[in-house]
Amino acid sequence: MKRLFVLVSAVAALASCTSATTAPVQENPKTLTLLAYDAFTPEPGIFKTFTNETGIDVKVVTSGDSGVLISKAILTAGKPEGDVLWGIDNTMLSRAQQASLLTSYEPVDIGDICVNADKDWFAGRKIPVPARLEDLVLPQYRHLLVTQDPVASSPGLGFLLGTIAHFGEGKWQKYWSALKNNGAHIAPDWTTAYTVDFSGSSGNGKYPLVVSYGSSPPAEVLYADPSTPITEPTTSVIESTCFRQTEYVGVMRGSAHATASQLLISYLLGKKFQESMPLSLFVFPVNPNAKLPDLFIKFAVRAKTPLTISPQDIEKNRENWLKEWRALLL
Amino acid sequence: MTTRRLLSVIPIGLVAVFLVLPFFNSLATFFSLSTTREVLSDSSMIGIVWFSLWQSVLSVVATMTIAFPATWALSRFQFPGAKLCRGLLTTPFVLPSIVVAAGVLAITHHTGVISILWAHVVFNVAVVLRVVGTRWMLLHPKYEESSATLGASPLQAFIHIVWPNIRAATFSAAALIFAYCFTSFGVISIVGGFSRRTIETEIFTQSVRLGNTDVAISLAIIQMIVVLFVFNISSPSARQTSTTSIIATPAALNVKAQGRWIVLVSVFIPVLVVILPLVATLMRSFSYRGRISLQAWKMVLSGTLPQLTVSTWKVVGTSLIFSLATAFLAVSLALIASQQMGSQHFHYSEQHRILRFITSLPLFVSAATLGLGLVITFNTDPFAWRSQTWLIPVIHAVIALPVAIRILEPAVLAIPVSLRDNAATLGASPWQTWLHVDFALLRPALLRGIGMCAAISLGEFGATSFLTRSDSTTMTMAISQLLGRPGAVTQQSGYVLASLLIVLTVGITSRA
Repeated sequence: MKRLFVLVSAVAALASCTSATTAPVQENPKTLTLLAYDAFTPEPGIFKTFTNETGIDVKVVTSGDSGVLISKAILTAGKPEGDVLWGIDNTMLSRAQQASLLTSYEPVDIGDICVNADKDWFAGRKIPVPARLEDLVLPQYRHLLVTQDPVASSPGLGFLLGTIAHFGEGKWQKYWSALKNNGAHIAPDWTTAYTVDFSGSSGNGKYPLVVSYGSSPPAEVLYADPSTPITEPTTSVIESTCFRQTEYVGVMRGSAHATASQLLISYLLGKKFQESMPLSLFVFPVNPNAKLPDLFIKFAVRAKTPLTISPQDIEKNRENWLKEWRALLL
Repeated sequence: MTTRRLLSVIPIGLVAVFLVLPFFNSLATFFSLSTTREVLSDSSMIGIVWFSLWQSVLSVVATMTIAFPATWALSRFQFPGAKLCRGLLTTPFVLPSIVVAAGVLAITHHTGVISILWAHVVFNVAVVLRVVGTRWMLLHPKYEESSATLGASPLQAFIHIVWPNIRAATFSAAALIFAYCFTSFGVISIVGGFSRRTIETEIFTQSVRLGNTDVAISLAIIQMIVVLFVFNISSPSARQTSTTSIIATPAALNVKAQGRWIVLVSVFIPVLVVILPLVATLMRSFSYRGRISLQAWKMVLSGTLPQLTVSTWKVVGTSLIFSLATAFLAVSLALIASQQMGSQHFHYSEQHRILRFITSLPLFVSAATLGLGLVITFNTDPFAWRSQTWLIPVIHAVIALPVAIRILEPAVLAIPVSLRDNAATLGASPWQTWLHVDFALLRPALLRGIGMCAAISLGEFGATSFLTRSDSTTMTMAISQLLGRPGAVTQQSGYVLASLLIVLTVGITSRA
């Protein structure tokens, strides 16, 4: 009996001993893993400064589009695939909070979802570019707008949310019926809308108005044919249509390197990284000290009074809004 | 015998671990009976099921109509350009749906059923060519010739000689196409427009966009039941055709004058249907804002992919490595499984049925559900494989397995047992017999299987898009990244990369 007790206490001691050796969080990891969506393409070499300062390497791993990324992160909350998560936006934030996906999070960049216009198309026909959401239902702008399915596409959702913010609950439905009657085209996703249906970029589409981003015009300048560079974008942004999208970065619950992760987040919010974002990720910095590149100052739009809806309201109503929208548009 | 039995454990094991386990894990985790009841009584959900059903039946009919004459011509005749035509017809099967879909849209300008059917035909002609064509080539033309000598019309010869031999392969191809169209995701979500939804697109929407995993799982179960049912009624045992036991010689003929135009038209029309969307892609790669520009080609060929952080060669290399690994693994597994199912001692045994069922499972399982299953299954040590690069070709191989088996099995069954017996009587060891009889006769089918599986890996963009990657961007992913950003030259580069993928695939598939 006594021997058994000794044995048991020895095992217990051993167990507590092993757990004691593994329990203290390893505070200086060699590598931190930054989990992001496929479209996360930071400036090459941007993490070198961080590695030099802290001795920590940053490994970027990607996983699908932002929807896939967030859904699977939520499904495996607490057993994260990385230490830091990049790319939850205000339309998903509430769902992530409900799953306690992150132990802490902060806004890291902002961008606006706005109607873009093919400048030449309007200039050539001497028709003014529409200025407000209300204009889009005028006969003058019949069959000119292409937007995206808000169920499948995040700019499509942003535009729908913008109209809800602008016209208000109970009134946006009337606006969408009018848009439909005025020949607005619904593309399945951003790529089809912008590259196949829109007339203002690489394609030869029929629609001179497209829902895209406030930062799309500078991309048109920077990524024009290098043999015939342009100094002015071929597209412009209609500022009053802009819906504000905020992206967040946070420490994933279950990460063994919480303190080091905070260091990385500070770096992502620091001047150097924030200033690299406009021309690599085509988003605006949140750090007020970060300077904007000329191209952004001239051609990108960050609306002064953007349309917004709180993450809580979005989460609460999204499914019903989408259902109503489908019923209206089908 | 016992080693053979042991061998059959390998394909079953792999499918069990990398498909059955994750799929049933997501069922077990997210299934809810009350949700399933709600789904079954929701009229919009029933509408989705009904649409999935009729569009895939129409897709099968359209594909068969276009593909059958071409399969006949290419299995029976050899003419200049025949290999190229075969490559062109097979290529779309592997292209990312975004490329084919954008190509179709560039021509039709309308989302909807016609565009869906066209895109599905473009994708699936390859299936008929590979599955039915492989069997057809094994039927020696001397049988048709002698029936003609005896006064049978070509139609009679077809009904009495050819059809009994290719019937099983035709049904199996039809079932395969049904399964692909019924579970189609990429094509529907692009050319279907927002108004046309199938079960698979709804599974993705519910699970990924809306977070309703329970609804998604109910739909995945409905989808699986329908596909299982169709397979059950459409696959009479492949065995009944092998009783004729024909000497396996790929037939090649020089066409005589009067029949020539029939042969050429039979191939020409399907080639046209299939390559028009691809030509649209090529044209986009050369056109910049309405004029011709080679800048994007220069840029991509010098290694730069605008706005991306990887080089052209890196993504091409990654794609090639994944596809070779997939092809090697899938074809080895398929060979083991086919030889098991073809073995005389194995005939009607329980194991035979189990092997056939398990290796067909990848066709029944929704890609999005499998993707979610992988994520929640392989996230705990020591099985935390969800971020491992090797998992990608393994999953590709599991997905490609049913196709590989459908290509290899008819060829295995067509090997006359007497040849093996003779070899053994003459003193050949089992290994020598396998090498000189089985392998020699299987070579064309093996090459075809390798080409097809490599191709499936190049284009797969479903379940593995749920896996996490580090530095392993494939061509397919890079194309959708490039097309997904503003900047005219960036998008043009996307079409350049898609054109490279087309060229690469025509290269692989016209050789095999």
